[in-house]
Amino acid sequence: MKISLNWLKDYVRLDASVDEICRAITFLGFEVEQVIRTGAPELNHVVVGEVLVRDKHPNADKLSVCQVDIGPAGGVKTIVCGAQNYQVGDRVPVALAGAVLPGNFTIKQSKIRGQLSDGMMCSAKELGVAEDASGLLILTGRPALGTPINDVLPAGDTVFDIEITPNRPDCLSHLGIARELAAWFKTELIYPQEKFRGDTGATQRPDLLKSVRVDAPEDCPLYTAHIITGIEIGPSPDWMQQRLTAVGLRPINNLVDIGNYVMLEYGQPMHAFDARKLGGNEIIVRRAADGEKIVTLDGKERSLNSRMLVIADATKPVVIAGIMGGENSGVTDDTTDLVLEVAYFKRKSIRWTSRRLGLSSDSSYRYERGIDPHTALEAAYRAVDLILEHAGGQVVGPSYIVGGDVPWQREIVVTHGFICEKLGFTIPEADMEAAFEALELAVTRKEPTEGRGTAWTVSIPSWRDDLDRPIDLVEEVLRIYGTERIPAAVVTAPGLAAEDDPVVLFNRRVTDYLVGHDFHECATYTLRSSREVAAWVSQTAVAELALANPFVDDQSHLRPTLVTGLLDVLKLNQSRGVAVSRLCEVGRVFIERNGQNLECAAVAFVMADDADRKWQRREPADFYAVKHHVTALAAAGGIDLNRQALVPVTGSYLGWQEGHCAAAGEMGQGWTARFGLLNLAMVKGLGIEGKVYAGIFAILPEKLTGGLARRKYSDFSLFPAALRDLALVVDQDTAAETLRRKLAELARAATGGKFAVEQIAPFDVYQGEGLPAGKKSLAFSLAFRAPDRTLTDDEVNAAMQQVQDKIVVGTGWTIRK
Amino acid sequence: MQATLNALAEKAATEFAAVMARPEFEAAKARYVGPNGELTALMKQMGTVPKEQRPAMGKLINETKVRVQALLDAALERIAAAELRAQLGPAVDPTLPSPDVGPGTYHPLTLVREEMCRILRKVGFTVADGPEVETEFYCFDALNTPADHPARDAQDTFYFPESARFGNVPKKTAEEKYLLRTHTSSVQIRTMLKGPPPIRIVSPGRVYRRDTTDATHSANFHQLECLYVDRNVTVRDLKALLDYIFASLLGKDTKTRFRPHYFGYTEPSFEVDLSAQHLPKVKKDWIEIGGCGMVDPTVFSAVGYDPEVWTGYAFGMGLERLAMLLYGIDDIRYFYQNDLRFLKQFA
Repeated sequence: MKISLNWLKDYVRLDASVDEICRAITFLGFEVEQVIRTGAPELNHVVVGEVLVRDKHPNADKLSVCQVDIGPAGGVKTIVCGAQNYQVGDRVPVALAGAVLPGNFTIKQSKIRGQLSDGMMCSAKELGVAEDASGLLILTGRPALGTPINDVLPAGDTVFDIEITPNRPDCLSHLGIARELAAWFKTELIYPQEKFRGDTGATQRPDLLKSVRVDAPEDCPLYTAHIITGIEIGPSPDWMQQRLTAVGLRPINNLVDIGNYVMLEYGQPMHAFDARKLGGNEIIVRRAADGEKIVTLDGKERSLNSRMLVIADATKPVVIAGIMGGENSGVTDDTTDLVLEVAYFKRKSIRWTSRRLGLSSDSSYRYERGIDPHTALEAAYRAVDLILEHAGGQVVGPSYIVGGDVPWQREIVVTHGFICEKLGFTIPEADMEAAFEALELAVTRKEPTEGRGTAWTVSIPSWRDDLDRPIDLVEEVLRIYGTERIPAAVVTAPGLAAEDDPVVLFNRRVTDYLVGHDFHECATYTLRSSREVAAWVSQTAVAELALANPFVDDQSHLRPTLVTGLLDVLKLNQSRGVAVSRLCEVGRVFIERNGQNLECAAVAFVMADDADRKWQRREPADFYAVKHHVTALAAAGGIDLNRQALVPVTGSYLGWQEGHCAAAGEMGQGWTARFGLLNLAMVKGLGIEGKVYAGIFAILPEKLTGGLARRKYSDFSLFPAALRDLALVVDQDTAAETLRRKLAELARAATGGKFAVEQIAPFDVYQGEGLPAGKKSLAFSLAFRAPDRTLTDDEVNAAMQQVQDKIVVGTGWTIRK
Repeated sequence: MQATLNALAEKAATEFAAVMARPEFEAAKARYVGPNGELTALMKQMGTVPKEQRPAMGKLINETKVRVQALLDAALERIAAAELRAQLGPAVDPTLPSPDVGPGTYHPLTLVREEMCRILRKVGFTVADGPEVETEFYCFDALNTPADHPARDAQDTFYFPESARFGNVPKKTAEEKYLLRTHTSSVQIRTMLKGPPPIRIVSPGRVYRRDTTDATHSANFHQLECLYVDRNVTVRDLKALLDYIFASLLGKDTKTRFRPHYFGYTEPSFEVDLSAQHLPKVKKDWIEIGGCGMVDPTVFSAVGYDPEVWTGYAFGMGLERLAMLLYGIDDIRYFYQNDLRFLKQFA
């Protein structure tokens, strides 16, 4: 909202500087986004002068030495000038020593090419009044010599571009802002005084408008209309045009301008019809019929429905109420008789219609936020005054006032003690009362209370719908008292003995782990494309993870994984020639299961070939490096991956390279992990160089428990272990884990519980020469240990023999000698 | 005999000196003191020596034995030292860079978030978390944002179709829609609904606005909010918290100021400005950093707290904005591009 300082000064005496006014607006609670100067700035020591003599400068071709008369007080000055556009006898602005021109340019007596110059004759640009720098500003009308230039130039204005918060629609007007400033500067608010007060002396309804009817009073509690005949459309007066231009409106004609002017003055929108275009000479405020059409002033045809409020004549809608007029009834250059509508429409109705039609205007903006229900008539009278004054004509017939003022009575009782308690410091009672009065919050009753100071009954004016409870008045008092005066204090913090959320602890743990293992933590967007979700998961997921109203096509779905975002990062860095290999991200993913989405805490990483040339080559990442990291991440989530079945990733998860990846867990258990090599073709298709290994672990937030469970300690033996090796020849697709389990089972049976099988670990995998095709050899190391003694060779050998005898039975496995 | 022994000791000295490795050493050792060794053989001859010569002879042999053992020890020590030396390659050039990748780096948003959380933990705030997919109740209704409020427009907020189901984000009412939270204030509501006051939480997290991505706007970004609910919480307490936070972050002489503002869920509400003297690239005296206020009584009513008894404050700010100000970053998109030349500057 643009507010003109000159205009404000009609309602409030403002002696403060622009900076002070800005500060006031700011601390009253409105952000000043911009301060715009128009016209001439304040220019001291710049006066009207006349060129008496113009001689060529002896030492410079393009300069002249002039004698300039600046009137009886200043006398005649010698001034060197470079401009060419003036003649002897011209009157021009003269900046004397001591003047400060825009751009902080200080004028002083000086020598120019050896010639004394006692001031400067100025161009429009140098004075900051216009962009014209082509020559001196030649003053017309021969103003008196020595006159301060500000008296000659058109008055400048300062315009504040202010952000009005949605709770303060009353400040979408100059009077509203003036009221706030009057309160801040503790001065009086001067209301416009209307001459016309609704008394037309007439009793007879004129033929021009025979009736006004409101069929939808729930949306339009008050509708007023005045008929003015014999007006003449023309330009509005200069001062009005200047003000409208200053606040960013284009002057159109006297009627339109007056409508806008009063709206910007009171915050009350209005509308003018050409009375002769109203079919049937009547106005009906009604709901539109479904499918009814109107062409609005912007030239577009709008299709209406029965929730929308329109102003209609006998046959057709002529205005979408409160939003925009129709082309069919507007004021044109040949309009002579008009109907001026000033009404109160309910915000809900206007907001709904405006949203539905995607159509808004300065008028709908105000109605949507809520206008003062009691302003309509004042604003109408003001507009009538201005129309009669600047467009001529006369009011005919009595005013139409259909409906009435919405009843308004609101009082809030608040005590001095209550306000001080909420603030945490004391403001004297007198200051509080003064703040109320300054904001026109009339104190209608004062009563002492026991221990809580005075209780004020405060009457809330109709334009302050935002004030409803005692707490609302705390803010009013503080605004006027000044938020900068809140005293400093020390934070008092009684311990609440609570722990961070388990998800937070998990995130911190996994981020620390990955960063500690040389990963760069990334942040990528949550919203991804449907194509990617389909490729990465499934068409079902595409359907379930879709937004109803995406903003752009390629950000239409929740991410089911963090890996694809990391691939984007790989690609970006590779394409910029930045060496990149280890990346990770911690964040939410959304996993579809049985037609339901589950929001999961997740962590993922990628390991790509490092393209950087190095003086020494390191082993590249492989599946087992990824498994190592995923196991650690799962452990941070309380899942021991070593105790979980690992299965190959198959089916629709196209992102993974079959035979080189694995999965564990599933959302039915509340978590899932996938890791291994990413599909080579997919990675290449994305334009990424080299192999990429990846891992992701996702878990339901509710599965996380914060602190990991305290482990149970068990005693350990101080006697030596007996180690034995055993190699088995098996089919090449037999999983090591299958063998390990069988070995463990047999070994435990063989020891008969007399001593422990401490460890069974694979230490060699071999395939090739010396073995039949399709077979591999897996060698295990077995460790036996007793808690209370050193094992003898005999007992260990006996146990091993038993294992060897039994493991070949029915398994198809053989012992490799 | 003496001559024999001397000759033997000298021969041993020469041979042992030539021994370079452990197997040779073992062989040489066996040649002298092994069961079939030369010295062993001489000792065995003791029986044939006349009785009266035996003491002198014994002494001589013993001396030789000691001498040979010393030679053996010396040889072994030399070999062991050589073995250790053999484990070493050539001397390193300490100026060559490590070929390993790394070190890893924390994302600047993580650094800023964690620093804020540490500062707040010191004054009793614990870190809370909540879902990014929310329902209208937690994101709007409970926060005094009525159904026809512009903030709820499909123009500004991402919604899910009515058919969408989120198994672990429970709805309050069957009719309400799922959406992507527009602020982390929804975590405040969930926390308050979970248990009684007092409450002192900080909730950092990802939020979403339906907005064009440019240098200062992003479809998702991060916020950090504080909520304190207790008896007799005041505006002055709120100001004290803000002063404390920014003095901790930027130095003791950092100041904050409150400008009255409007938020639906706080009353009174303020925007917070920060004195900008410690911030790079900021040419102004004051820079806006967040919003705050005293929790509106309607919010307490919505979560079943008695607004006559409980009071509280809330403060919220954008983490990207804070990081941009702290580090002098000009473009919010850099946070999401993750160019390593960007990421490596903050760790």
